[in-house]
Amino acid sequence: MKRWQPVSVLSDIRRGEVAGVRIDGREVVLWREDTPTPALHAWEDRCPHRGMRLSFGFVRDDALGCLYHGWQFGGGARCRLIPAHPQVRVPASIHVHAYSVREHAGLAWVSMDGAEDFPVGGTGPDNVQPVRTLHVNASVGALRHVTGIAPDAGIAWHGPVGLAVHEPVAGQGMLHVVRVADAEEVPLPALSRWAERLRDAVESGAVTDRIMNELAMGELA
Amino acid sequence: MSAGVVLYDWTPDVRCYAVRLGLSLMNMTYETRAADMDLPMGQRPAGLRPGERPPVLVAGSVRLSRPGAIMQFVARQPAVARAWLDPAHEWMILDWLDFGATALDTMAAARDIAFGTTLPVLPPMGALVAALRRMEDHMTARAMEGHDWFASPAPSIADVVLFVVFALTVDLGVERDTCPALRRWARRMRGLPGFMVMPGVPDYA
Repeated sequence: MKRWQPVSVLSDIRRGEVAGVRIDGREVVLWREDTPTPALHAWEDRCPHRGMRLSFGFVRDDALGCLYHGWQFGGGARCRLIPAHPQVRVPASIHVHAYSVREHAGLAWVSMDGAEDFPVGGTGPDNVQPVRTLHVNASVGALRHVTGIAPDAGIAWHGPVGLAVHEPVAGQGMLHVVRVADAEEVPLPALSRWAERLRDAVESGAVTDRIMNELAMGELA
Repeated sequence: MSAGVVLYDWTPDVRCYAVRLGLSLMNMTYETRAADMDLPMGQRPAGLRPGERPPVLVAGSVRLSRPGAIMQFVARQPAVARAWLDPAHEWMILDWLDFGATALDTMAAARDIAFGTTLPVLPPMGALVAALRRMEDHMTARAMEGHDWFASPAPSIADVVLFVVFALTVDLGVERDTCPALRRWARRMRGLPGFMVMPGVPDYA
């Protein structure tokens, strides 16, 4: 089944930044170009030269450079410069595996199996801003249940607050929190602290109904 | 004013790295006496006293061995920029400095377990993971308030010690994607003038 997974809030991957994320146990590098219209890329987190994690690398304009030997990969995931051999025309076979990536609802969405259709079922509000991503030491199944994400949905809306999850490795979850941009009645710091309490409750096996009810009531403690 | 400052330094030790990094960022000149604590007593520098373990900073009659105390001593030198121990935010800086120094001790012990064996083993990580989570939640809240650093508007000695905790837990199996706010803050640390690396803390990332 081809599917899209939310893997990061967009505020964690701004212009010129590079970040490693794990998706279903696979290592993926997210990076954004340092250009006036900076595109977002999601690639296998592995340099084809020596296997170094590209997420340790650095963004130079519209390319990602490997920390090890500076091999540079352009937006098409093809190697275009080997600094030790600057005159060499790099063969097209030297490239990184690229995944489909989209930006939607304040989140970066990645498809590991080449899905091209988007969005991920259902429509949400427009003008959504990212809040934060939290690591939760609990299964994604438990997180989806608690946050009310339907089996075929990518995101659950509770009033102006959107919750999404993905699985970095089996048994662990990442919780992504977004909010309608002009929903000032839910202040971002309070929403962030609310998410911490939800995380702590899920991890300790405590009852989460009361915490989720705060969202429904629009009254974050 | 820095004449006569001597640091007894053991390169792979995390507390020594925190001190080297702090001295470099605060632009303090000093002499290094390299010590290898894996060697027998007789092969260590003569000035290191029995039972002492690097880092040891000696400046005149002052002799310090705790990273937090060394950071404060350096930050209070007249030639060092006040921002490193900003008087307006001193208590918060000292609180996070103490938090970081304690986490550094925990990490040093964990690394001894992990690397001091023929076959590397993963030490119990609960205390360090809990410390990183508190740091992550704090820096998330700071970012929402428009702040870039742990305790004050500019980088402080607390950031120095906490950076070492974050940067080297990757050696102990803590994945970076669990701490996005710390990753962004660490990148800023790397961009500071005088930033220096150690084994396990590469130039970029």
